Amino acid sequence: MRPAARRGSAKEGGKADGLGPNSEIGRKLKQYYDDLVSDEVPDRLLDLLKQLEASEKAVSRGAKGDA
Amino acid sequence: MTASSSSGFRNDLVKTIPSLRAFAISLTQNNDRADDLVQETLVKAWDKQSSFQPGTNLKAWLFTILRNEFYSQMRKRGREVQDSDGTLTASVAIHPGQQGSIDLKDFRKALEQLPEDQREAIVLIGASGFSYEEAAEICGCAVGTIKSRVSRARARLQEILGIEGDGDYGPDAISAQVLGSTAA
Repeated sequence: MRPAARRGSAKEGGKADGLGPNSEIGRKLKQYYDDLVSDEVPDRLLDLLKQLEASEKAVSRGAKGDA
Repeated sequence: MTASSSSGFRNDLVKTIPSLRAFAISLTQNNDRADDLVQETLVKAWDKQSSFQPGTNLKAWLFTILRNEFYSQMRKRGREVQDSDGTLTASVAIHPGQQGSIDLKDFRKALEQLPEDQREAIVLIGASGFSYEEAAEICGCAVGTIKSRVSRARARLQEILGIEGDGDYGPDAISAQVLGSTAA
């Protein structure tokens, strides 16, 4: 058993439902999620945003018609 | 035209991508589908950026778009959306080799067995860091509905993983009771 990481955390979301640091489910859920969050972001998603921004600039520079 | 404001918006989107992906993977259980979903979400968010009110919660706004996109894709595929209300779903028990030590792989398998509505609720509350109010807004339901889904998800996970009375001990659970957390 690890000691509670923070005090007074029962007020925080989730903790009141037994998902805090004393809960195996709560800890595993965090671990599962943090694992996914730390994955590297695929280039195609970053490229997509660059394209969206570039095309927006092109549109605003050019015609005033509908997109 | 303020090019800098759209760059700012883009940077904010970039910062949110890791948690959007995590949420998408937890919904789809498939990395490729999750990335497609995030891609759709980013395109939609970009198109709708004028409807986003600066100063409000961008992460919650993006999660809402992603979630709506996920369910609309499911409907298009003709897949019935799982609804845990009143439905009995058989759950396959996973018994970890050692008591009190659950493998992450076992946990993932257990999570996959939950109906979507319960899975998203427990992920939003227990991992994504949203409040019950925010989660209710993202899912378009009442706060009480989120609470009951979270508690059913937790009970189901305990059952599948063979954990008894998890979270019932320790200072957190006790102070939660003292503070009068909902017994329902």
